[in-house]
Amino acid sequence: MKILIADDEAVSLRMLEKTLERAGYEVTAVSDGRKAAEELCRPDGPRLALLDWVMPQLDGPAVCRTVRRKRSQRHVYLVLLTSKSSKEDIVEGLESGADDYLIKPFDPGELKARLHTGMRILELEDNLVEAREDMRYKATHDSLTSLLNRGTILELLAGELNRKQRNKHSISIVFGDLDHFKLVNDTYGHMVGDEVLREVARRMLGSVRSYDFVGRYGGEEFLVVLNNCAVEKAVDRVEEIRKAIGGSPIRTTQGPIPITMSLGVSVSRPSDTLPLEEILCEVDGALYAAKSAGRNCCRLGSANRA
Amino acid sequence: MTNSEHASIDQYVDMPELLARVDNDSELLTELFALFQDDFPKLRDALHNAVHAGDPRQVEKAAHALKGMLANLSIKHGAALAANVEAAARAGDEREIQQALAAFDGEETGVLAAVDRFMAGGEP
Repeated sequence: MKILIADDEAVSLRMLEKTLERAGYEVTAVSDGRKAAEELCRPDGPRLALLDWVMPQLDGPAVCRTVRRKRSQRHVYLVLLTSKSSKEDIVEGLESGADDYLIKPFDPGELKARLHTGMRILELEDNLVEAREDMRYKATHDSLTSLLNRGTILELLAGELNRKQRNKHSISIVFGDLDHFKLVNDTYGHMVGDEVLREVARRMLGSVRSYDFVGRYGGEEFLVVLNNCAVEKAVDRVEEIRKAIGGSPIRTTQGPIPITMSLGVSVSRPSDTLPLEEILCEVDGALYAAKSAGRNCCRLGSANRA
Repeated sequence: MTNSEHASIDQYVDMPELLARVDNDSELLTELFALFQDDFPKLRDALHNAVHAGDPRQVEKAAHALKGMLANLSIKHGAALAANVEAAARAGDEREIQQALAAFDGEETGVLAAVDRFMAGGEP
């Protein structure tokens, strides 16, 4: 575990450094408060620190305040180590953002025990952050395909529709529906159907840019948001998706299965004010047109053709 | 020749406590005393300069640094005398500062001599 120690007094600094190295810490030693704050505010900086109170440039409490103000992503466990020992000092130190307080001269056993407490708290925080991220992912993604789920992609689409007016760019909204997917489930079973959906998701993600969005809208229906994509380019971009899906059969545990996709697209220009629901109706109409035209093709919405 | 020049390091330093703090690492102990020999005179001079300049804030700061260094090396009486100077400076009492400084000066000469003798191999 990385630890930062900051003390302008050479004897104390060296003693701490050696004690902590022996205890297995990876020690960064600095002799003024500004350097300490810089190190601790780096994204990959130490998350455990022992700070002397009286230091040049910035004192210990000022370092605590700086770190608390600037680095909010992950908690940094800050321990003030000083010979100041009045109750007022302790209160001031803790109110500046320190997590703990040790009086000089330190006792090695107590120092290590307190740092272990700090590590336990950081570990607990890591577990909580991980659990939160996991829950956030599950709440926003489809569990089968790992694509964005319906609620999330609609939310993102609504955000992009608002943004396009400000940024003065068009966005293309695409519905894609697998052709005769029911037959796959009926013929090979739902497990193979799931394999197909996972591979379709992978191919769709591979055929769009990093700033586009792909979501699973329903069973075998997908919604794609192509950002900064005007009508002149829309059909070509959607054709790329169609070819990515139908270009080669999908390998499954039951052998290769040829799959195709019909797609409908509508382009919303910066000046367009059509609400989300109507845009989706327009795209749905284009998809229906693609299905009616024999499937495995793409059609542009009527508003864009006019 | 004064008594302090012959005094054992044990008279000033709580060696069992210090050895425990450095995990009985004699090499580290030597390194720390060498740092002390380098830094202590500078801090002491800073303290004297601040007293002569009549700057209680600087006196407090220098005395605080000396107190920390001495306490880390288990030089307990020396640390207590430095703490007296710090307290007097915080109170802004000029007379108290002078008295506390005199007591500190009396002790630090002996401390330095004992550390010098220890480092020169004059005692185990």
